[in-house]
Amino acid sequence: MTKVSNDKNIENSDPHWIEWITGAVSAGIVLAVIVWIGKDGFVDQDASPNLEGIVLQTEERSDGFQVLFEIKNGSSATASQVKVRGEMIEKQSVLESVETVLDYVPGHSKAAGGLIFQQNPDGKQVTVRATAFDEP
Amino acid sequence: MAIATTRRDFDKSKFFAGIARGIAGALLFALPMLMTMEMWELGVYMDRSRLLLLLLVNIPLLIILSDRVGFEETSTWRQAIRDASIAYALGIVSSTLILVAMGVIKQDQSAHEIIGMIALQAVPASIGAMLGRSQLGGQSDDDDDKDDDDDDPVHERETSYAGELFLMAVGALFLNLNVAPTEEMILLSYKMTPWHALIIIAASLAVMHSFVYALSFKGSHDLAEGTPSWHAFVRFTLPGYLIAGLISAYCLWTFHRTDDIGSTQILMAVVILSFPGAIGAAAARLIL
Repeated sequence: MTKVSNDKNIENSDPHWIEWITGAVSAGIVLAVIVWIGKDGFVDQDASPNLEGIVLQTEERSDGFQVLFEIKNGSSATASQVKVRGEMIEKQSVLESVETVLDYVPGHSKAAGGLIFQQNPDGKQVTVRATAFDEP
Repeated sequence: MAIATTRRDFDKSKFFAGIARGIAGALLFALPMLMTMEMWELGVYMDRSRLLLLLLVNIPLLIILSDRVGFEETSTWRQAIRDASIAYALGIVSSTLILVAMGVIKQDQSAHEIIGMIALQAVPASIGAMLGRSQLGGQSDDDDDKDDDDDDPVHERETSYAGELFLMAVGALFLNLNVAPTEEMILLSYKMTPWHALIIIAASLAVMHSFVYALSFKGSHDLAEGTPSWHAFVRFTLPGYLIAGLISAYCLWTFHRTDDIGSTQILMAVVILSFPGAIGAAAARLIL
């Protein structure tokens, strides 16, 4: 309880036990967050991102064939402005290539997007990979 | 916002002054968000179930806020609900007017886009309308005279512990809503190392505690004599910081800033967003 009097508030000197329980639980959670982040401070020492492209699925759409992908970042360092190139390959030669840019791929996270090809990728090999990035 | 309590003492000029104060409050508090690009974009693309949840959560928030920061001492729940509805409506109307006036909403946009943008902006605007009515002075000359005549000028009331925590939540939500939609929040969390995050946590707690207990602002809090100062830190500052953190996490989730992101990165974003949240929570205890 808090007593409000003439714009001066005085905390009750004999608080309800709920106030102490709430305080103790809060202290525990804040401490857990500090320990978690502190642990990452020691463990995560990666200097650069580690990006890997994965094709999720292909769908036919009115504007062509849409390939959905995700870029996984296995490192703790974040990459920004990640250029992603998708290539459709048949018999060692590239039939078509499409590019896009992802704003961010944060550390130990993933980001998804889509590439639209004109030709049907059915029966052909489609690869997606990151070709360049910035540091945030 | 309505001031008259019965039909007999309904005063038109007072009523319209109340409405005008509500609109002024909505503008004062929501204009930064109305002028933020990310807020327009979020209105267009954000997940409709998250938007709906935000709109629903805002209803009890406004009602409790109306009851808490009270338009009138004798406010009943019915009056609180009435005032909350008016505040919400003022939030919707003023957001619409501003977005149309700034050319953000245009005729050729789909209803999905327009309604999404207005609905999202109406949340901070309605809180602003509610606070504007109570904080931009709601007293007429008559009320002032009455106060002067009062034999006991000491205005005493007791706020419950839950009430204090609620005020902190509103303060945190307010500052969080201002910055959570911006890209800068996640960008900052990517730029920071875990060590920066730990410094921000310490700074948030220190600033929050000193805002309320040390800096002797108007409305600041004191401990009863003989109470050690860590008591207030454990009972108020730590729970307040936790509330700021939870509200930060909720805002980030609502605005799709946590999608597909690793747990440490989410935690870092919560920590950085809790910094303004903590200051908002502390300020709310002084102001409201």
